[in-house]
Amino acid sequence: MAPLKALELAYPIFDSNFQTFCASHGILSVEDFLIHDVYELAAFADQQPTSEKLKQGITQIFSIIDAQHQPWLNGLELLDDALQKKHVFSTGCEGIDLLLGGGLRAGQLTELVGPSSSGKTQVCLLAASYLVSKNMGTVVYLDTGNSFSSQRIAQFVGRISNCMFDQAGQRIFQKVMNNILCYSVFDIFSMFNVLHRLEINLQSQKGEQVRLLIIDSISSLITPIIGNSGSQGRALMASAGYLLKKLAQEHNLVVLVTNHTVGGERGIPKPALGQTWKSVPHVRLLLSGDHGNNIRSISVLKHPSMASGKVASFTI
Amino acid sequence: MAAKGWINGDESAAEMLARVSKERPFLLLPPLHRVPLRVGNVVELVGPSSSAKTQILIQAAVNCILPTEWNGVHYGGLERLVMFIDLDCRFDILRLSEMLKHRIMEPIGSMCNYEELYAVCMRRFLYVRCYDSLEFLATLKTLHHRLQKETKVLHVEIQLLMIDRKCISLQSISDTVVQEIRKLLLVHPMLVIATKEIMLGKVYAVDEAKQNKYLLEASDVRSITSSIQRLPYREFMPSVWQFREHGMQSPPYFMNSHGARNKCLPVLWSWIDLGCAKPPRSLNWKIAVGCLE
Repeated sequence: MAPLKALELAYPIFDSNFQTFCASHGILSVEDFLIHDVYELAAFADQQPTSEKLKQGITQIFSIIDAQHQPWLNGLELLDDALQKKHVFSTGCEGIDLLLGGGLRAGQLTELVGPSSSGKTQVCLLAASYLVSKNMGTVVYLDTGNSFSSQRIAQFVGRISNCMFDQAGQRIFQKVMNNILCYSVFDIFSMFNVLHRLEINLQSQKGEQVRLLIIDSISSLITPIIGNSGSQGRALMASAGYLLKKLAQEHNLVVLVTNHTVGGERGIPKPALGQTWKSVPHVRLLLSGDHGNNIRSISVLKHPSMASGKVASFTI
Repeated sequence: MAAKGWINGDESAAEMLARVSKERPFLLLPPLHRVPLRVGNVVELVGPSSSAKTQILIQAAVNCILPTEWNGVHYGGLERLVMFIDLDCRFDILRLSEMLKHRIMEPIGSMCNYEELYAVCMRRFLYVRCYDSLEFLATLKTLHHRLQKETKVLHVEIQLLMIDRKCISLQSISDTVVQEIRKLLLVHPMLVIATKEIMLGKVYAVDEAKQNKYLLEASDVRSITSSIQRLPYREFMPSVWQFREHGMQSPPYFMNSHGARNKCLPVLWSWIDLGCAKPPRSLNWKIAVGCLE
């Protein structure tokens, strides 16, 4: 939030007199206004010789503050937004789609949890391939462990769209493959970089075709920064969660992240990242699989409108 | 003269009772209707994750926006505004809409000719999402003006302010949030319900030593005495959230002792602290949280 000095150009009411008055109460920015008691400030302004102008300034600040928060919506507007803009996107995997009642919902943060080799990355790759093959938009893929495989994507795309490997088929294939943007990120700061750039692009409608954001895996970015000492790591984790949810909600994206498991009570594996992260995703799905066969099972750990515990199996 | 007036007092007990029960009547708001709540109270719903906290908020909201009666059909609602501040960004409007439709259809069997009622009720539900603490503060600061505007348009008063999931933030911010809520309550008499997630003691039962360490470190460990068991839990929020230090009416606390893994099971809720009100006869009760399907 801007310091008052910077606002002087846009709003001439914040002249030097107003700034000195505010500074004498310890207010230098709009943020300070939020923390201060504005009614008390107005009472102080009354005692000043230029109270009229000061009060106008305070009213002006109120209208700036009013623009700082998301707009109030009534139930009908909210429902309209949910029905018109929060579409459901198929993952390309029948078992998962049936379990989730259609697939992944825009505006929600879906988390895939599972031990290694339980098929998390495969589900991500398949969801990305399916979305671009059906020309539903583009995909932003954040890869943290060099596990992104373009060959696997090519296989999936070939299978979904029955591409012929002739000249015309190649061209379609290339167009589809161009719609998946993969970024290699190896720490949380470069992830914030990519996400902030994405947010700016989305706001300026340059990247409005983006429909799916995948982070595989988010836990390998967050685990190194949360230790026993200090709370900065937790703060970063919380702000990452809010940023992802904001992107999903404001720009109607499907956000898909993966998380690994750690040993919990009595050796039963539980999702990593602990209690604070637990409240971040809307949907949490547990993947598990046997070694030796291709059948994986998926169960709902958490869903906003579904009882947890439902299980389905699928193959990729 | 002034002294004599002071000795005579302002009003008798009977007058005061009549005035208070008129100004701040009891709110019988299912599923919290077993609890003597009034406008001006701050209620905190405390429970571990997936213990139907948001579900209770939605049920209460539906009861608040429904009218008492519509075309001769009795609904028993309050016909008031509800404001929902979502700090968690996890609220699902479809759930509220389904539940409202279900409630409207229950006595009459079909939805025909009731779209109007549905739309009126949905308009009484106001929602805002906050992505960080400063947005939350900005929302609270401008809530008074917003409320005046809405009241003029819809001709109904607000009765219920809901805050889903209070988040951890800086001390100065939480101080101001508490003050803002207090000021709002002075101008707009309403019931505030806030939810809060806690970790129950059993979460730490992984190993005893670790648990003891945690409990010693946590500065404000509180022990809840309910009629059946003592549950230690760790307070996430700074002490300023426990409004009573600020001379505010102390909030009745609720908590449930079992997380509902399966959403069809009833959840057991119990009192923690009831402030000045007289506790009801039974301290625990069950709230059935049915699935909509």
